[in-house]
Amino acid sequence: MALARLFARRASGDASTVVLPAVAFAVVALCTTVVTGGVFAFFTFPGQGGATYRILALLALVLLVVPLASLGGAAARLAARRRDERLSSLRLLGASTALVSALTVVESTAVALAGALVGAVASLAALPLFGLLHFDGRALGGAIWPPVWVFFAVVGAVAALSAVSAAIGLRGVVLTPLGVRTRVATAQVKWLRAAIAFAVLVVAVMISSSLNALAGIGGLILVVAVLLGGFGAVLAVLGLVGPLALRLFARRWLTRAKTPARLIAARTVLDDAKAAWRQVGALSMVSFVGVFTGVGVAFTQGTGDEDAATRLLLADIRTGVILTLAMSFAMVACAIGVNQAAGILDRRALYVSLDRLGMPAAVMDGARRRAVLAPLLVVTIGSAVAAALVLLPLTGYALLVQPLGLAIIVGCLALGIGLVWAGLTATRPVLTRVLSAGIPGTT
Amino acid sequence: MHNLIEARGLFKDFGPTRALRGVGLTVAAGEAVAIMGPSGSGKTTLLHCLAGIETPGAGQVLFSRVGDTVDVAALSDRRRSELRRTSFGFVFQQGLLLPELTAGENVALPLLLLGARRADAEAEARRLLELLGIGDKVGARIGELSGGQQQRVAIARAQASQPAVVFADEPTGALDSVTSAEVMSALLASTVGSGRALVVVTHDASVAARCDRTLHMADGTIAEMSTSVRAGDAS
Repeated sequence: MALARLFARRASGDASTVVLPAVAFAVVALCTTVVTGGVFAFFTFPGQGGATYRILALLALVLLVVPLASLGGAAARLAARRRDERLSSLRLLGASTALVSALTVVESTAVALAGALVGAVASLAALPLFGLLHFDGRALGGAIWPPVWVFFAVVGAVAALSAVSAAIGLRGVVLTPLGVRTRVATAQVKWLRAAIAFAVLVVAVMISSSLNALAGIGGLILVVAVLLGGFGAVLAVLGLVGPLALRLFARRWLTRAKTPARLIAARTVLDDAKAAWRQVGALSMVSFVGVFTGVGVAFTQGTGDEDAATRLLLADIRTGVILTLAMSFAMVACAIGVNQAAGILDRRALYVSLDRLGMPAAVMDGARRRAVLAPLLVVTIGSAVAAALVLLPLTGYALLVQPLGLAIIVGCLALGIGLVWAGLTATRPVLTRVLSAGIPGTT
Repeated sequence: MHNLIEARGLFKDFGPTRALRGVGLTVAAGEAVAIMGPSGSGKTTLLHCLAGIETPGAGQVLFSRVGDTVDVAALSDRRRSELRRTSFGFVFQQGLLLPELTAGENVALPLLLLGARRADAEAEARRLLELLGIGDKVGARIGELSGGQQQRVAIARAQASQPAVVFADEPTGALDSVTSAEVMSALLASTVGSGRALVVVTHDASVAARCDRTLHMADGTIAEMSTSVRAGDAS
């Protein structure tokens, strides 16, 4: 505990070590509480119509879990990463495995706990705003407030996530103290993943084609469970094949790169395609479902023979899709902003050296911006186009009869990309500060 | 040999600490100058002022190119950055190469920044790496190279834009004695051996002994200057 206190005092000198992950954990806690509140609200809807809203809420929840996990994972990795150098030094000085592990977990968990508490408090202000949203013809209102235990559970879960992630993430420091600083090989994307993904997809298609039979056996609950499972399986498949796809694109970018910024960006993605996917992959399914649902809703509205209840449901589905898109992009933008700021601080000496070589800050900034935005565009636009192609005849019809409905979804995607761009731009002052501060202690 | 750099009466303060107190020196083309001194004596600050990384509080740093002399200290931040890109090369203690790029791409980077075509830049990078004996590592990632090989890549990068002066800050500080001697030979051969000037900050007396002159700094001033006979290094 004495060492932990000593490290905590030292960390106060480098506020970014604590502030960045704390902010990320706060956003995770805020989003988790709001999303959970939303699900609770839909479960208060009565009757047969209420069941539809509950299923849709669960589908949105599955979609939001991925960006939420991505943000949570980024925060946890960040909390551990900013400490690994000090801990590896401690290990080299002869500290025991147990001591290094305990310090890591204590430090990361304390930061996560503080951040989660701030996030939970912030949700008290955010929930009333979300309560103004209208579904099924009425405002969500007080129904969006989850039970009190949810607030405590969220704070506890965020702290636990950080503790587990820190313990797992620092295995390298414990096993090999020098391993932290000597990253040698490119993170490999194994083609075995593609085979596994294909197998999962085949199983998912087989099960979903048997939905009628399943309904006969286990009723609606089984069908919903299978649908949610299928949704999760597709997300898992995307996680397996996504890095492979990004790697293929990055190879192309590398071949065509003519400027330093493009060259560095292409190499950054190629160097760790899994990390590049982790940053933006959450948007693939969201973008796909957004356009898929948008086309479906526009097509149904275009037929013009729906009753008032159906019209209301379709409008609510569109609102839900837009909300899901907005929250997903916001979480991804936040995760990217935090990751980028941490990346700049971690590579401080390298950026300063590039500045000394005469590399303009705009080139450094352009390289890291492109390394995020290029995969983001591939994932978002690629998934949107894929959804439009899957529904090709309907897409064309919907474009003709309900162009505004589709334009709103596409506009949301464009705004989301703009939000991520803004998140990246917000980290530019961090780079400027690092360059103007130079490397401390060199006189 | 004409003077490439002439510093006059350099002063530099960091808050209440005076890092340089009226330092003056010249560096001629084809000359290797070592700067030694205890930590905090001002040697890195002097190197930074000469290279246009820091601006002195008072004094001048005149850099002479063909038919042109500029006061580095009086240039804007942007012009100093441009000067570093076009006329100066740098070798740092730990290479500080971009780990995502290959060795060849790291060396080609300064040329790309100057607007060279990528194919030309990479061909020149390959040539420089071959000259330094690591032509077979052109496609290797930085993490796959030893410390000595990384410093050779850094040396190749420092020469890529054909700079008039190469500044090296503890270039052998992280290497064992044998590798250190090899890297220093490569650095001298590729700089003074090609008519360029080399300014090197070092704690290592054996590194300084291989330079033409050694400036010993103490408390922000040049306390002593010694000359040495350098034989065969640049061959």
